[in-house]
Amino acid sequence: MKALSAINSSNPCLSKTHFLKVPIFHPFFRFKPFSHSYSIHVRGAKTALTPSFTINCKLKTSHDIKSKEKSVSQKIVLSEGSPPPLTEDGDTNGENVPESSQKKESPFGVVRMLRRKTLQILSNLPLAIGEMFAVASLMALGTFIDQGEAPDFYFQKYPEDHPVFGFFTWRWVLALGFDHMFSSPIFLGVLALLGASLMACTYTTQLPLIKVSRRWLFLHSAEAIRKQEFSESLPRASIQDVGTILMGAGYEVFLKGPSLYAFKGLAGRLAPVGVHIAMILIMAGGTLSATGSFRGSVTVPQGLNFVVGDVLAPSGFLSSPTEAFNTEIHVNRFYMDYYESGEVSQFHTDLSLLNMDGKEVMRKTISVNDPLRYGGITIYQTDWSISALQILKDNEGPYNLAMAPLQINGDKKLFGTFLPVGDINSPDVKGISMLARDLQSIVLYDKEGKFAGVRRPNSKLPINIDGSEIVIVDAIGSSGLDLKTDPGVPLVYAGFGALMITTCISYLSHSQIWALQDGTTIIVGGKSNRGKMEFPEEMNLLLDKVPEIVESTLGG
Amino acid sequence: MVFLTLEHILTHISFSVVSILISIHLITLLLFKEIIGLSDSSKKGMIITFFCITGLLFTRWFFSSHLPFSDLYESLIFLSWTFSILYIVPYFKKHKNYYLNTIITPSVIFTQGFATSGLLNEMHESLILVPALQSHWLMMHVSMMILGYATLLCGSLLSVAILVILFQELIQIIGKSKNFYFLNESFSFAVIKYINISEKKNVFKKTFFSSYRNYFRSQFIQQLDHWGYRTISLGFIFLTIGIISGAVWANEAWGSYWNWDPKETWAFITWTIFAIYLHTRKNKKLEDINSSIVASMGFLIIWVCYLGINLLGIGLHSYGSFTPN
Repeated sequence: MKALSAINSSNPCLSKTHFLKVPIFHPFFRFKPFSHSYSIHVRGAKTALTPSFTINCKLKTSHDIKSKEKSVSQKIVLSEGSPPPLTEDGDTNGENVPESSQKKESPFGVVRMLRRKTLQILSNLPLAIGEMFAVASLMALGTFIDQGEAPDFYFQKYPEDHPVFGFFTWRWVLALGFDHMFSSPIFLGVLALLGASLMACTYTTQLPLIKVSRRWLFLHSAEAIRKQEFSESLPRASIQDVGTILMGAGYEVFLKGPSLYAFKGLAGRLAPVGVHIAMILIMAGGTLSATGSFRGSVTVPQGLNFVVGDVLAPSGFLSSPTEAFNTEIHVNRFYMDYYESGEVSQFHTDLSLLNMDGKEVMRKTISVNDPLRYGGITIYQTDWSISALQILKDNEGPYNLAMAPLQINGDKKLFGTFLPVGDINSPDVKGISMLARDLQSIVLYDKEGKFAGVRRPNSKLPINIDGSEIVIVDAIGSSGLDLKTDPGVPLVYAGFGALMITTCISYLSHSQIWALQDGTTIIVGGKSNRGKMEFPEEMNLLLDKVPEIVESTLGG
Repeated sequence: MVFLTLEHILTHISFSVVSILISIHLITLLLFKEIIGLSDSSKKGMIITFFCITGLLFTRWFFSSHLPFSDLYESLIFLSWTFSILYIVPYFKKHKNYYLNTIITPSVIFTQGFATSGLLNEMHESLILVPALQSHWLMMHVSMMILGYATLLCGSLLSVAILVILFQELIQIIGKSKNFYFLNESFSFAVIKYINISEKKNVFKKTFFSSYRNYFRSQFIQQLDHWGYRTISLGFIFLTIGIISGAVWANEAWGSYWNWDPKETWAFITWTIFAIYLHTRKNKKLEDINSSIVASMGFLIIWVCYLGINLLGIGLHSYGSFTPN
């Protein structure tokens, strides 16, 4: 037994022996193949003198055994030719396998070696962990130090005579660029290094892992199986029964002679590769966003126009304007919704997009959380203010009075304007003050500063103050719009989608089971990469189901 | 008015039930005995708490006509609801998870206690939603984030427990004070309790007590470690989805999927720390103590991310700040 398995591991071409071996070593073999197909390949012209033959036996599994099982599509594969079985007697980590295959002598040997060395260093796990720690702590620092202030602010906050922690002064902040942490060279450098590590790790250890795990790793010695995290020996059992039961539990089962290999949840092992690729996608998208986008913001009073290209400013060297930048945008209407209590609940802007000929190409009412997208440009509703009051004075007008923001404290806004009364050229001119918090109501004060009344726009209700009759015709709002183009978004979104899916799949546990028929006994061993506690329980449950073979039933 | 009374009743019921549960746990801890009736009642109590908090959330939802995620009080209530969900879900599966349950009950009382304490009293009336929060993403983002926080907190608490057990001897030497002594006792009790449970299964393993105890101690640590790992992996999924949905929402509402806003940054720091934890698990050399240390750091960082940033009241996520606006 041991001698044969040694031959097997040295030469995979000898797999033909298994077919011959089966009846000799396993007198209890109850397998009734429907059809056998022998295919003989002559190994190419290179070995013309001593052609070696590979005989693959394709045994269609007998469905009468397995018809009880739920899924018919699954079948026990009996040593099909296509993926070469990789025989490995030790621990099957598979992470150190692909190294040797890349070694090829070439004139660029030095370059090659250097490349391999860098890859090796970059894909080092402790280094990657260190980089992640560095990124995390820099980000934390970036939230503790106020960002984007003028240098004076840092002179005062981190003075040289009272250094924070005894050494941290404004010199550190400004020299290291910590006043704009998230665009500072140090932070970006560490992030780039992390990205490089991510790519190196994906390239050197993860992608080869896919290749390795597609192979079937049969184990041919009882010791190797017993070394697994879980192992058990079943006396008087047949390996086919084990295979059937494992298949019923959702395992992919492969049988080759006396040895069995089964696995479940392979996706759980491969998904981390996807997580890394998704992270690389997001980082690439982020870089593209940072270097190739345009953004800008504008406050437009209702009824006015602006051209997209005038507002947008490039953010990096890859930013290039498009045809859509010539679009002119007309603010048809700006209005707000209110709660019953009078608070602003939502604000909307009705926008028309006009092309160079002045034709309307698109029209949409946008609001917060509902932007407009046209030709790669996205227009967001972000802010509002009141630009002017339209009034009639003594039935003359209408006059437009510009409103100025008086107090901006959080979301509570206040705008005001002033209508002079009497001699405008006198040094102490007095007049009527009008204040508004939103477009709903205007509060008026007379020239002494006393409260005179509240009027709603559109109400047409005149108010008499200091002898002049005033009608508030309308309050004209202006809409605060943010515009941007961002070529990185599709890439980032693709990365987001992939990241969500692959992290979910990563939760699955990859379980592998090996079994070997040794006389009448079966040695079963297995391991699982995540569900280490549940796996032995599941195995015990499954193996309890394996029928014991009694002498009298052996005839068939 | 009806709404307020109903809310008060539900809050008080859930709070007092959880307090009773805590005292039950303390009693079993002090008496060094497993009283079957009591542990059964603690399960029932958690189910009652679960229904109370669910009711509370629904009344708030119904009367404010938006999902109850808009301020710190509501998110804390939701956090304790998530904890109780984490307790309930394994209860219906046949796989009993003894360790998680011991950790969840105190967690519920702390969050529930903090939410109902006077500290946050002014925030109890439900507020109106500002325009930016009126989005379907609100539900997705907040629920996933809080679910992630809750799961990660449970998982990292298991890691903290491992650290406490591992450094038991150290604590014994350093801290002769009574507080430490009590902690110490409770954890060695946990080990003994675990031995008792396992004893029923393995009657044969009767060796010298010291080695016997060491064996079970390492087994206990292994179990804690494993469950911590599984819980954190699950929480990591929720956190990932939460952060991503937040980013997509930000891209819809503010025009950029990432703004380096403090809350965002801290969520990303949390994500990075737990990514480090998951990576330390890959390396055999780093696995034991180091991964537990990383997870315990994660525990602190979640609290900084969840409460600390709100207390500072900066950035877009200033929903729970104590500064009046």
